[in-house]
Amino acid sequence: MSVSETYVRYRQTLSEEPLAIVVLFVGLWMAWSLVSGLLNGGIQISGLASLVWDGLLRGLVIGLAGIGLSMTYSILNFANFAHGDYLTSGAFAGMATSYLIAGFGENSVGALLLVGAGGSVFGGALGIGVTTAPIAVLVGAIVAGVAAIVLALAIDRFVYRPIRDESGIALLITSIGVAFALRYLLQFVFGAGVRGTTDAGSVPRVSVPAIDGTFRVTAHDISLVVVAGGLMLGVHLLLQRTKLGKAMRAMSDNEDLARITGIPTEQVIRTTWIVGAGLTGVAGYMFILWKGTLGFNDGWLLLLLVFAAVILGGIGSIYGAIGGGIIIGLTASVSVIWIPSAFGRAAAFLVMIVILLFKPEGIFSGRTTA
Amino acid sequence: MSLLEVRELDAGYGDLQILTDVDLDVDSEEYVTIVGPNGAGKSTVMKSVFGLTTHMGGTVTFDGEDISGTKPEDVIHKGLGYVPQSDNVFAELDVEENLEMGAYILDEVPQEELRMVYDRFPILEERKHQRAGTLSGGQRQMLAMGRALMLDPELLLLDEPSAGLAPDLVDEMFDKIDDINASGTAVLMVEQNAKEALSRCDRGYVLANGQNRFEDEGTALLNDDEVRREFLGG
Repeated sequence: MSVSETYVRYRQTLSEEPLAIVVLFVGLWMAWSLVSGLLNGGIQISGLASLVWDGLLRGLVIGLAGIGLSMTYSILNFANFAHGDYLTSGAFAGMATSYLIAGFGENSVGALLLVGAGGSVFGGALGIGVTTAPIAVLVGAIVAGVAAIVLALAIDRFVYRPIRDESGIALLITSIGVAFALRYLLQFVFGAGVRGTTDAGSVPRVSVPAIDGTFRVTAHDISLVVVAGGLMLGVHLLLQRTKLGKAMRAMSDNEDLARITGIPTEQVIRTTWIVGAGLTGVAGYMFILWKGTLGFNDGWLLLLLVFAAVILGGIGSIYGAIGGGIIIGLTASVSVIWIPSAFGRAAAFLVMIVILLFKPEGIFSGRTTA
Repeated sequence: MSLLEVRELDAGYGDLQILTDVDLDVDSEEYVTIVGPNGAGKSTVMKSVFGLTTHMGGTVTFDGEDISGTKPEDVIHKGLGYVPQSDNVFAELDVEENLEMGAYILDEVPQEELRMVYDRFPILEERKHQRAGTLSGGQRQMLAMGRALMLDPELLLLDEPSAGLAPDLVDEMFDKIDDINASGTAVLMVEQNAKEALSRCDRGYVLANGQNRFEDEGTALLNDDEVRREFLGG
């Protein structure tokens, strides 16, 4: 190929795909700065491994919460902005239960149930942790799921169901109202302070060797991986193998045909809330257990990342929610190599926008709830 | 008494009335066709039988039971199957899952009916793990019929089964419908392809402006001068 031909070809690519070129150069710059950082010791491999591990765990929480958001979107046709506050509500209910079980008898029940509002009780002092208080944690996780389910069903019954035939926008705006109401109700009851919830010092940890050092893996990391992985597999089996799961996919695909076929649509909607909210409640609890702090804003702050993950993965697809969650989690975490940590969330959204520019329908598009 | 009796039916969508005083009968094992110009309300008759329209007056009786205004998810329990004209398969589900959904109201997937559907439409068995959205138009139509046959209905409602099919598939589709009817299922069909449909059915109705215009044996309608002039293009 002659020089002039090559030149013409590059010019053409440059004018037709300016975005691809920019992304390519940014990618090259990132790769170069990573490699040079690793070579000159500015970035350690163990540090990188630690960031990847942290991002993966964050991604699992986002993905687990995202499944619920994606399911309710595909079956009810509206984006539920209160989803993040279902997560916080589940976390508070679960943690209150864990406090009660771990600290019963030694502390006032009121202080325990309010998750130590105003510094009356501390999670660390109660020894909350998966090894130090396994029963309190297990029951707490279950209660978190159940509480989120009860809340979601109650809100659906009294708020969303009466306006189900309205447009998606009406439901969306309503859900924003529900989100605010829930969030400030939580603040009113439990207070605005962010409290430590676990006895971080007593959580068992191992140091995993990584060439030039080690990175830390705690028992709470492992619990999060096991619980999130197990629940994701469970949802997969539910949707692919069970009759009700197939009916959920059928309804998200074609609601009119589902009704003609005799699928009881209200029952499917109820199941969707149960599964979606249950996962979200448990995700909230595991998130709080893992990061060790709890505040009334946690779910709301996570919600935008959850939305980013779900849209990135292709809204309506549970595999998209999981995949998108992991991409978003990794990006938010690993991006500190290149940019200040305060911009981690911004980086996650930037990655979402870039991926959507190349694949506007999302990575796992064309597969609703499947 | 007929299997399906529609008497003085008024129906439509919301405030918009489409059908006025429509009468229609389908006997057990009978093959009945509704023809008529676009906008005559042919599909609306089908939808009204299945509870998908706003019921405004008159009655729909099936097997002696008044089912006027019954919801579609309940009508399916009475022994009727309905194949809508478009969007009649679950595109995201595979072929076999579509058929399973056809028998959703039963506790177990009926193996005998599944076998019958596969025998009737062998292509569906070959493609049972293929996503329905990737099937051709003809295969989708067969899947939609197969889905409706999973409950072995007494009456099958078919809305334009030949719409959008390649010409060589149209004959095959009509042959399949003849077979289904011959094995004892009554058929009520709406068709654009009026001549072909009338030549195959037992009885036909000509509908115009949401009202009955003619009713006779299929071949008699085909040979009726007035029907030919007004509705069959001479």
